Amino acid sequence: MGMPITHIMTSGMSGIRAAGDLVARMQFARNMRLKDAKEYVAKKLGVSTMDLSDEYVMRELREELGIGVVTSVAGSPKGIAAKMNIEKLLDIKINCCEKFRGKLK
Amino acid sequence: MTEYALRMGDGKRIFLTREQIRADLEAGTADAADLGSIPALTGNELDKLAEILMMPARMVGVEPGKEVPVTHDIGTIRLDGDQGNSGVGIPTSRLAGCMIHERAMGADTMELGHIDYSFKPVKPVIAQEQQAMEVCQQNMIVPLFYGAMPNMGLYYTPDGPFENPGDLMKAFKIAEAQASMEHAADHLTRDMIWIMQKLMFAGADGVNFDTTGAAGDGDMFATLRAVESLRKQYPDMYIEVGMAGELVLGMHGELQYDNTTLAGLWPHQQAPLVAKAGANVFGPVVNTNTSKSSAWNLARAVTFVKAAVKASPIPCHVNMGMGVGGIPMFETPTIDAVSRASKAMVEIAGVDGI
Amino acid sequence: MSKEEMFKELADAIISCKKDAVIAAVNKARSQGIAPAEIIEKGLAAGMNEVGVMFERGKLFLPHVMMAAGAMQEGVKILEADMPKEATSKKLGVIVNGTVEGDVHDIGKSIVSTMLQSAGFEVHDIGRDVPLQNFIDKARETNAQMIGLSALMTTTMVGQKEVIEMLKEQGMRDKVKVMVGGAPATQAWADKIGADCYAENASEAVAKAKELLL
Repeated sequence: MGMPITHIMTSGMSGIRAAGDLVARMQFARNMRLKDAKEYVAKKLGVSTMDLSDEYVMRELREELGIGVVTSVAGSPKGIAAKMNIEKLLDIKINCCEKFRGKLK
Repeated sequence: MTEYALRMGDGKRIFLTREQIRADLEAGTADAADLGSIPALTGNELDKLAEILMMPARMVGVEPGKEVPVTHDIGTIRLDGDQGNSGVGIPTSRLAGCMIHERAMGADTMELGHIDYSFKPVKPVIAQEQQAMEVCQQNMIVPLFYGAMPNMGLYYTPDGPFENPGDLMKAFKIAEAQASMEHAADHLTRDMIWIMQKLMFAGADGVNFDTTGAAGDGDMFATLRAVESLRKQYPDMYIEVGMAGELVLGMHGELQYDNTTLAGLWPHQQAPLVAKAGANVFGPVVNTNTSKSSAWNLARAVTFVKAAVKASPIPCHVNMGMGVGGIPMFETPTIDAVSRASKAMVEIAGVDGI
Repeated sequence: MSKEEMFKELADAIISCKKDAVIAAVNKARSQGIAPAEIIEKGLAAGMNEVGVMFERGKLFLPHVMMAAGAMQEGVKILEADMPKEATSKKLGVIVNGTVEGDVHDIGKSIVSTMLQSAGFEVHDIGRDVPLQNFIDKARETNAQMIGLSALMTTTMVGQKEVIEMLKEQGMRDKVKVMVGGAPATQAWADKIGADCYAENASEAVAKAKELLL
């Protein structure tokens, strides 16, 4: 476990503690290089690119946007619900959300 | 004379002077430049690398604002797996394992993987994998891939139906060995596509082809064809291709993708082909030499990866596990060495992720 | 043509991996009166060394290595007529090579076997997931001077240590050298378990085997 934890602490964007998942999504969804992905997400969130790894900025913002927070907040969107909000925020489609919608009667 | 604590490629602590570190850095970058016919690191880059290696803190970190997404491979095997995968043997479900990576560790992406971690053994348990993917996707927020190794060796005798090309080669049956690899590649491609069709149906964000090329050029050939086919079927699928080693081994020698011979390709030559096939992210690998210092290994790895980042039309998430990317070949990698290699890859090689 | 030029022509013929070129070069060298042993050592074997280096550098691939080795065999066959019988049957050494029990990884070990064979060693590749006693039995049977032990996993590399202990118990340790390799193996590991050498890759395996056996 020392390997991933050390990389995350040294270089990572902290996932849903900040906005690492969102930047990663844009790299995969649109082939965006790091700079472009950060700028895209920052613009959508209305923050600076530096804020994307800042837990202080992102903690409240994630809760406000309903895109999932790392601590277990009762009533806050989690899982598919959070990802559906991420779809809207980033203007992308997420496969499991599409499948979820497809199952609704 | 002041000496600085560094590591050997096997993780052992060594003490080197500034001059010795500089000499190893220069030799390491020269080795990569020579092998790959790529530019060596500049004087300023070597200075920066030396500075990172000589920092007095046990752990170093990238400058604020320079953070990168850290993707996670090998599924949850690091938690529930055994020593062979650097696993720590905590009996967790895969759902719990995925959520621990997302919530306790702060991973930027995660993947679901099978305990064997090769594609072929997934076929008989595909329904289990589909339901595990569905359950995980219900609960996860970060992108969740399905990850596995192409591992074409499983298609050769005694594990598979095709005669072992290693044995055929040693008997000078070269054409037969090549034919065996081609048959195995066809089956591997077909299996990987079929498995990922099932997992995309179950809601996977995409696939991580981990340790591509481990069985040589045939392994990479099969993977690139699978990527191409999956991209056509699923335009929005997330596809990452991570390599097994720095050089595509020429086991077959003549296989081509997009009119390019795969054998003998270095990371900066692999990246454009992986992008052409349709991947979103490329994972370059540079091997660690256990008999050389971390200065030599890191300079060499950064040189190769920097060239790959430059040549790649898609993001590059450098592979930085045990024994690759300037990380020592050691089961419990030392934090000082890992954090220095991590920082160097971000700040000097300019990677898009790890 | 000087001898040195002739040796270079022989080596270049090997590097070309073409049997016809090697045979032509060997016949030319014979006609110049160069001793067969010199033709082999300074011409053909030197070419094979270069082939090994080119393989490691990604300039030549496994089929080329085998074609070059096949061409060299043909060249040596021609020279055998000019050599005393005991000299023609002489191999660089006999090596038993395999991946230890519990470890199914085959490819790296096979490359090492191929490169050792190409360099002129008699190699008995006993496969992967090999019961540990089989290494010793095969070494006895073939009068091997070296056992090569491959392992790709931290969980299986302990098999390398066990073979060395078994060799000691069976009074064989002094008769055979032990080489270890595979991703988790290191020089420190080799030192710890009392192996004679560790090789980082296939070409280093050839160099270390030559160092220990010649």
